[in-house]
Amino acid sequence: MESLISGAECAVPFNPLSQVLKHTEGDRSLQQDRVAGPSSARLHQLPGSSTAGATQHDLALARQFFESGPSVGPGFGAPNPAELARLHELSGRPLSEANEGWIMEQQHLMRAFESNGAWANEFGAGKSAALSQAPQTAGPEYHQRPYMSSAGQFGGPMQMPMGMGMYGGGMFPAQMQPGNGKGKSREADFEAAFAQVVAAHAQEPAETSRIVEVQDDTAALEDALEKTKLDDEDGSKSEFKRVWDTLQNSDLPPPQEDMAKWEAEFNQLMTSQRDDLDYDYGGAMKSAWEGGIGDFSDDTSALKWDQDGIPILGEYVFEPNNKYLGPEHSALAEAKMLLEQNGALSEAALLLEAAIQKGDLGEGGYEAWILLGETRSMDEREDAAMRALAEGVKRAEAAGAPGVGMLSLAISYTNESMDRASHAMLLRWIRSRFPSHPIPEETIAAIATNAAWDTHQRLTEVYLGLARSQHSRGEMDADVQIALGILFYTNSEYDRAKDCFETALSARPTDFLLWNRLGSSLSNGSHPEEALGAYREALQLRPTYTRAIYNVGVACKKKRLEHFLSALALQESTGAETSEQLWFTLRRAFATMERPDLVAMTQPESRASLDAFRRQGFEF
Amino acid sequence: MSDDLKVPGFKASELISRVSETFSGLSDTDKAAQIKKVNGVFQLQVTNEAKEVANWTIDLKKTGTVYKGEAKPKADVTIILSDDTLTDLASGKLNGQKAFMTGKLKTKGNMMLATKLDGVLKVQPKAKL
Repeated sequence: MESLISGAECAVPFNPLSQVLKHTEGDRSLQQDRVAGPSSARLHQLPGSSTAGATQHDLALARQFFESGPSVGPGFGAPNPAELARLHELSGRPLSEANEGWIMEQQHLMRAFESNGAWANEFGAGKSAALSQAPQTAGPEYHQRPYMSSAGQFGGPMQMPMGMGMYGGGMFPAQMQPGNGKGKSREADFEAAFAQVVAAHAQEPAETSRIVEVQDDTAALEDALEKTKLDDEDGSKSEFKRVWDTLQNSDLPPPQEDMAKWEAEFNQLMTSQRDDLDYDYGGAMKSAWEGGIGDFSDDTSALKWDQDGIPILGEYVFEPNNKYLGPEHSALAEAKMLLEQNGALSEAALLLEAAIQKGDLGEGGYEAWILLGETRSMDEREDAAMRALAEGVKRAEAAGAPGVGMLSLAISYTNESMDRASHAMLLRWIRSRFPSHPIPEETIAAIATNAAWDTHQRLTEVYLGLARSQHSRGEMDADVQIALGILFYTNSEYDRAKDCFETALSARPTDFLLWNRLGSSLSNGSHPEEALGAYREALQLRPTYTRAIYNVGVACKKKRLEHFLSALALQESTGAETSEQLWFTLRRAFATMERPDLVAMTQPESRASLDAFRRQGFEF
Repeated sequence: MSDDLKVPGFKASELISRVSETFSGLSDTDKAAQIKKVNGVFQLQVTNEAKEVANWTIDLKKTGTVYKGEAKPKADVTIILSDDTLTDLASGKLNGQKAFMTGKLKTKGNMMLATKLDGVLKVQPKAKL
C-alpha cells in the first residue's frame, strides 16, 4: 500500500504507462482486500453498490438538502478592519457605513465649493488684485465688494451642508469680531480656529480618524484648511479674506513656520489617536498589499495574484522533445481516442501538447487547452493543469463560449487551497452560464476585496438560490450541484459537498470525475471506507485515473490506522490488557509514515491514553 | 528540537511540534513551493483553560520554520484563539470560517492570510477533487 502511494506521487515520467498500470493492479487488489475485509458490510450502503437504491437515496437527500435551507444567516457581512485596508476600498469605495456618510458629506462639500466657479473667479481676481497692493493697506472696503456679490450665490449650498456646528462652531464668534487690520492677531485667531478644526476633525468617530491616517496627511491638512475657508465665508467674510491675504500674499512672518507648527500639532493629535487605537494601519495596508494583491517587495519567488485572488502562474510549459510533434500524428484526434480507450494520461497529455504546438486547437480554439488541463489534473499535476485551464478559459471566453472549463479550473484552485481564486472562478461561471440569475452587486464587489470566508458565504447563498429555483421547476443541473459541492468542500463542509456530488451523480452516473469527487468528500469528511467505494467506481470507469489512485492511498493510510486504534480502544474499554501485537503493528505503521512522534506515543512507557491519538486527528 | 517548541499546559504544543516536524521533513523544493503558496508569517496567540497565553510563530515567508514566541521581526497576521479552538482547527472539527464567525478566532493584520491557516495546520494528506 505504501508503495502504491509513493508510486502514484512520483510516477516515473519516461515510462508512465507501465507505472500507472502497475498501480492500478495494486489498487484493485487492495480494493478487493478492503471489500472483503471487515468493513464490507458498510460498503453496501454506497451508491455504487446498488444504482437504483442510490438514486432513491439521492433523491431523498436532495429533497432534504433543498428543503433544509442554509444553516447560516445572511447577517454576516461586517468587514474586518484589516479588510478595510485593502487598496481597492481605499481608492474610493466606502470603508464602512459610518464612513460612507462622512465621505459623502465631504464630497458634497467639495462639490459645493468647487461648483461656485463664479465666486472662485472673483476670488481669484481679488487675490491677484490684492497681490498688486500692499497687503497691510488693504482696507475692508476693498473686500466688501466681491464677498457681497458672492453671498447670494453662496447662500444655498453653504447653509445646508456646513451647518457650522460640526467643524466651525467654536470659531464663529471669534471671527465675528470686527476686523481691525492687525494681521498678527488675525493670524492667532486663525491658528486657534484651525486647532479647533483639527480637534473636531480628530474627534470624529474612530473610523474616520483611521481613514485620515491611511490617506496622505497633507491631504487631510488641506481638507481641514478648506473647511476653515468655507466656515469663514459664512461668518465674517471680509475678515477671512483679510486673514487669507495676510497669510498668503504678505511678507509677514513666513507662513511656513505656522504651517509647520500646525502640522506638528495635527500630527500630534493624530498620533495620540493612533496610540489609542493600537492599530498599525500603515502596516496592515502594507501587508494587505503584499499578501493580498501582489508582492512587490524583494521576494520575487512569491506567487503573484491578480485582484480577484487568481494566481498568476505564467505560460504553460510544454514538455521538451515531444515525440508526437511529428507530422505523422493527428495529435488531437489521437489524444481523444486515447482518453476514450483509457490510455495513459501522460501520453494523452503529450498528444494534446503536440496538438496545441501544431496549432490544432480543436473546437473554438480552446478545446485542446481545456482537455489538456483536465488531463493534467486527473494525472495529479495540478500546476500544469491550472496553467492549461487558465489558457483554455481565456480562449473560450474570447471565442464566445464563456463558462467552458471554469469549473475544472475552480476545482484545481480548490485542490491547491487557493480559495479566493476558486470563488472568483465560480462567480464568473455562474455569471456566464446563468446571466439572468440575480447576483447582488455586493457579492460581485466582495470577490475582489473580501477574504475567502466572506466570499464563500456570499457565493453559497447565490448558488443555493439558483439550485432552489431550479428545484422548484423540477430541474436539476449537475454542473450547479458540482459548483455547490466545490463551495462546501472549500469550507470543509464535506457532508454537504458529498450530498451535492451524489445529486450530480444521479444525473451522470458514469462520470468518473464525479465519483472521485464524491470519494474525496467522503474521505476528507472522515468516511474513508465509503470513499473507497466511490473511488472503486471511478477506477472501474477509468483505470488510469491517477488522482483516484492517490486518493485511495490517502483514505487507506488513515483508515487502516484507525482500525488498529479502534481495536485497541475496544480492548481498553473491556478493561483487558491491550494487545502488544496491535501496538507493534501500529508502531510500524507510524514508522513507515515517518512520524517518530507517533511512534514514541506507542511505546509502552509513554502510552497515556488512546485519547492522545484522537487529538492527533484519528477518529475511531 | 521539537521539545523547545512545547509549552506546558498547552494541548497545542503537540500540534505545533507536529507542524514543525512536517516542515523540517519537507524537501527544499517542497518547502519552497509551500512558501511560495502561503507567503506569510503567522503568529498564533493561544490562551489555554488556565488563561495562560503562549505564542508561536509559523514563518512561511522566508525560512519555513516554526518557533516559540512572538514573530521576529513582525507577523503578517496574528491569530488569537484558544487552545481548544486551535486543536479543533487542526483536526478539522472546526474550520476557520466558522471559528471566525462565532468569535472563537480573532485576527490582527492581514486577514487574507488568516484564511490560509487551515491548510497550514492540517498536516495530514488530503484527498483531492
